[in-house]
Amino acid sequence: MSDLDKAIEQLRACRPIPEPQVRELCYKARELLIEEGNVVGVDAPVTICGDIHGQFHDLMELFRVGGDVPDTNYLFMGDFVDRGFYSLESFLLLLCLKVRYPDRITLIRGNHESRQITTVYGFYDECLRKYGSANVWRYCCEVFDYLALGALVTGTATNLEPASTVFADPASQNSMLGENDDIEIEILNSNNEIINRFPRSSPQSTPNMKDEKSEPGSSPIAETPTNTGPAGTGASGHSSGTRNNDGGAVLCVHGGLSPLIDTIDKIRLLDRKQEVPHEGAMCDLLWSDPDEIDGWGLSPRGAGFLFGADIVKCFNQKNDISLIARAHQLVMEGFKEMFDSRIVTVWSAPNYCYRCGNVAAILELGEDGSNGGFIPRSNGDAGRSSGPQSSLKELEQPREREWGPGRRYRVFESAPQTTSRGMPAKKPVADYFL
Amino acid sequence: MASQQIPNLNTLLRGRGGRGRGRQRGRGGTASSGDYHGSASSADTIVQRTDDDAAGSRMSAVEIGYLHDPFAPAFFEGGVTRRFPIMNRGTYVRTTAIDALVDRFLDTHPSQPKQIISFGAGSDTRYFRILSRRAMKNLVYHEIDFPSNTSKKVAAIRRSPLTLQTLQSVRGTEEEVKISVSGDSLHSSTYNIHPVDLRVLADNTDNAESVTERLPHLSQTSPTLLLSECCLIYLPPAAADAILTAFANRFIPPAIPLGLIIYEPIRPNDPFGQVMISNLATRGIHLQTLKKYSSLSRQKQRLRTAGFQGGQMAADVDYLWEQWVHENEKERVSGLEMLDEMEEWRLLAQHYCVAWGWRNGEHNDASLFQEAWSALQAQDNEQDDEDM
Repeated sequence: MSDLDKAIEQLRACRPIPEPQVRELCYKARELLIEEGNVVGVDAPVTICGDIHGQFHDLMELFRVGGDVPDTNYLFMGDFVDRGFYSLESFLLLLCLKVRYPDRITLIRGNHESRQITTVYGFYDECLRKYGSANVWRYCCEVFDYLALGALVTGTATNLEPASTVFADPASQNSMLGENDDIEIEILNSNNEIINRFPRSSPQSTPNMKDEKSEPGSSPIAETPTNTGPAGTGASGHSSGTRNNDGGAVLCVHGGLSPLIDTIDKIRLLDRKQEVPHEGAMCDLLWSDPDEIDGWGLSPRGAGFLFGADIVKCFNQKNDISLIARAHQLVMEGFKEMFDSRIVTVWSAPNYCYRCGNVAAILELGEDGSNGGFIPRSNGDAGRSSGPQSSLKELEQPREREWGPGRRYRVFESAPQTTSRGMPAKKPVADYFL
Repeated sequence: MASQQIPNLNTLLRGRGGRGRGRQRGRGGTASSGDYHGSASSADTIVQRTDDDAAGSRMSAVEIGYLHDPFAPAFFEGGVTRRFPIMNRGTYVRTTAIDALVDRFLDTHPSQPKQIISFGAGSDTRYFRILSRRAMKNLVYHEIDFPSNTSKKVAAIRRSPLTLQTLQSVRGTEEEVKISVSGDSLHSSTYNIHPVDLRVLADNTDNAESVTERLPHLSQTSPTLLLSECCLIYLPPAAADAILTAFANRFIPPAIPLGLIIYEPIRPNDPFGQVMISNLATRGIHLQTLKKYSSLSRQKQRLRTAGFQGGQMAADVDYLWEQWVHENEKERVSGLEMLDEMEEWRLLAQHYCVAWGWRNGEHNDASLFQEAWSALQAQDNEQDDEDM
């Protein structure tokens, strides 16, 4: 067993590895990350995860629910550290996995992967406490500077292959979906049971649906699981009929868009190898939030911007992407689609800060096998040559991509906290006003 | 007073360990006849220690610059643990919102003698902060808390030149401040720290003459403001109600204008609320009235029922931050620390509320509270009208 495998084993048991080993790991990781572009290309199938925030035991639950590395291909959208009590173990484990299986796990940067933020929100103190010096924190911060700013997932499938046939509530099975309906959205619980399914085709829906003001609604999970109504998922509601199963490209960033960035190529041009700046495009990508506004707005966080549906629609059209996946905002139901499913927030820290009572989610995007594995490279490269086939398609199609990827959300709750020996770990104390 | 600036620490220790405990045992007897159960004195100790949390939060907010409170360090022992930004902001909103209500009360008919009674005041610095801002010669301030907390507070006051100076600034030079031998009480015509278990006051079937015996210098003629910052919530609902009834009827005669400010958690039934209850329960803290007064509307109903018929208003901390804090002040506070997670802030802030209500009096200044408070912006019930 290699040292790396040993380190993985040790970190999986939630035990920190020695400082010299951290140093070596961080060095190797940097060598690997420096080769990545600002926007990493990722092929479907992939499982997209949001904020982790040092909730190590919940990260283990995530791997249990979503499958282990390298069996499952993962994309983590940042905020590995801070707030939780095991930022160190969580981040180092992810980093070890990255070094061990570089093609099976992608890590992009969150706003907490920053020197300034980690000194306020816990990671710095945790390193100091666990190692007696700030060296490990420094090594980790150097890695942060090399993390990619985004990822572009291509080769997604529009329709989901059913993951499970077991319904959490058997009574709801019949009312949900006809046998031949294509599945656009499937929501599963942590036992791999179906909570809800939404078909791609919906006879009642009109083509105008996309123009309607969409509800900021969230997943239907917290409400009645048996409800088959629209439930704010913003299922596209297009009539079926095309044979094309390409779900289009998905841009993944931690926060969101920037008024300084109108094409993905502009992200590629940034100089990312630095501390997260207080303003500018790089800051915005890590700090911004979608909101029910028109255009751009000031962010109450003090960094980044708020951006509305029009901005997202325009960006997605211009860059030929079907969906933006982002994290950054606590969502009580684990995920939340907005703006007619043009953007989704994925949140992967259940019972955030051991206090919020929320569930977590991960998003699985399936692989489009219909094209013999050929993935059109045009996605996200608006200006580049994309071969005769897709150029033709672009000519005859409306400006916007009609089909988004099929989306499978796996929802999970907070894991019981136990040590490697199965003993309950020290219960974290959440702060309240008393 | 000068001789009291050097406290006899042995006296204080004896006071805490000896008589203090004796009193607690005595209360245990009272407790067994009430509707709370379990190990009363250890449960009390846990409640008493919630003040350490409050003091620590206050110090954190003061050190970073959210609040200006030169008195906070005098009442805080040990190193300051920096709280997360959302906690600091919460402490800021809680403090400034209650300050705003108190200030309006004091500023309305300023020459009128007034009285404030703070339940479970612990290490609260409000009286000193009031004195540092204005000369309140006609204000009588009372704090009521467990002897273990009052003795700490009295000792802290004696240790700190700043608090002593501030107290002296308001009193005539001749007037005497009486500190009990056990060091757990302080009495003067303007500031009083009463080492009294509130439950005793509620259970008390004594006649009215004994009121000032229990609470020396209590005025039964001045318009009075009652404050409960996370205090009544630790009591069984019947006891919490009985205390309000006792003050609204027996201690402060019905002809006297009376106001009440309550600050406490609400909304126990959503996921955040459920986790809050279970997290605090593991620390032995039980928010006993939370289920009964679970929403803004229920808090207002509570005020009405308790006799505060003049008006009842309430708002959660999220609303108070949005509506009560001026834009430039918001900007200043937001600039102190970067708030990383707005949703978490809203979630937390929506689970704490300030409720305020009043009754008008029958004599001069009868509508004092009406004038002071009725124009303040409060939150509608809509969001929580259903049974939260």
